[in-house]
Amino acid sequence: MSALRLLSSAARRAPSTLTQQRRGYAEVADKISLSLVLPHQAIFTSKDVVQVNVAAATGDMGILANHVPSIEALRPGMIEVIESGNASKKWFASGGFATVHPGNKLTINVIEAAPLESFSSEAVRANLQEALKVAAGNGSEEDKMEARIEADVYEALQHALGSK
Amino acid sequence: MLARRSLARIATQSSPLGAAPKNARNMATLREIELRLKSVKNIEKITKSMKMIASTKLAKAQRAMQSGKQYGLANSEIFQHAPSENPAKRKLFIVVSSDKGLCGGIHSSVSKATRRAIASTEKPIDADSPIMVIGDKSKMQLSRVLGKNLAMSFNQIGRDIPTFADAAGVADLIVKSDVKYDGISIVYNKFISAVSYEPDVVEVVGENALKESAGFRAYEMEDDVTKDLAEFSLANAIYAALVEAHACEQSARRNAMDNASKNAKDMIDRLTMQYNRGRQAAITNELVDIITGASAL
Repeated sequence: MSALRLLSSAARRAPSTLTQQRRGYAEVADKISLSLVLPHQAIFTSKDVVQVNVAAATGDMGILANHVPSIEALRPGMIEVIESGNASKKWFASGGFATVHPGNKLTINVIEAAPLESFSSEAVRANLQEALKVAAGNGSEEDKMEARIEADVYEALQHALGSK
Repeated sequence: MLARRSLARIATQSSPLGAAPKNARNMATLREIELRLKSVKNIEKITKSMKMIASTKLAKAQRAMQSGKQYGLANSEIFQHAPSENPAKRKLFIVVSSDKGLCGGIHSSVSKATRRAIASTEKPIDADSPIMVIGDKSKMQLSRVLGKNLAMSFNQIGRDIPTFADAAGVADLIVKSDVKYDGISIVYNKFISAVSYEPDVVEVVGENALKESAGFRAYEMEDDVTKDLAEFSLANAIYAALVEAHACEQSARRNAMDNASKNAKDMIDRLTMQYNRGRQAAITNELVDIITGASAL
């Protein structure tokens, strides 16, 4: 199991190391200061971590120390934080923004996030059906759009639960 | 003989109590004091229970504030790296207060801070800068002096701990409104300690100003998400201000109700003393009547 996880995290890391090489920061083995915050909970506040993997709207990315300043909108997906060595913590986030600031600082503002264990797959399935029904129904354009977004979140969540 | 002596004693005792008025009037004032005593006791009960409610709410509000503050700090990080290049001339002021009073001067302090900011000469801004108010209390205060600037107001927010949905709703309405502005200032109460709050202004850089800022251009973006980012950070900044202002309000209400209970207690003590003295004086007077009557026989 742990070997599998290592494998999957290695696979996740693969695209990031590519970008790192391209920018020539690969040899810097430092830590990045991470603030991962929800409106009702501060998960990390300026904590030094090795790597953060986020599901950005433009594709999954891994952020290491001394990353180029960048702004990424997040899509519903996993946020993985590797504090040191191979120990990683994972959260499923509904969406938000990850911003890498000059000065080796990463802030992630997400509206809602929770560890995967706290989700019930039955509830996810039921809510997904509900959202799809509303999206396909004949409500106002705005309601349908909202339901579509909701369904996207549940689909991503289902996917994350399936690949756990 | 004995009667006369006691009479003399009574006479000397009753004089320091102040001139005892006529019997009938004395009874009336006693009744009045009794009524007042009763109502003050009732008021004390109310203020005491309001204090208890505010105390329990304060603990929750402070916890929410801790994380909300971190959220706001993480959100405003980008504005520190990408400050607005040219100071905004026409600013939108978002004043964060609430609908309920009985919490000291925290509503008027944000109103005052807003008035000062608009009249400020260091950073001159348009006199007709729009103002949006969250909460009826500050709306009433600002509508008196800056009534023409009021563009929109929100209420029913901040009764309980504000949620992100509240902030998002406010931000959504602000973005959708056709009010024109170059920059946004959020005026709210900053929580310094349990007994001290200070009005503070937090700046939110708008979409256009972000695009112009040199600091912002240092950031890499795959797609252009500036608009989304600007809207999202507006909601975040409003959320952070709402929770902090809410904690301030609960804390201020607790202090105000604590003071009110103390004052009520003082008043009750004073009135009880007055009432007892009055009653004693009335009894003494009656005794005097009886004794003089008896000694006259």
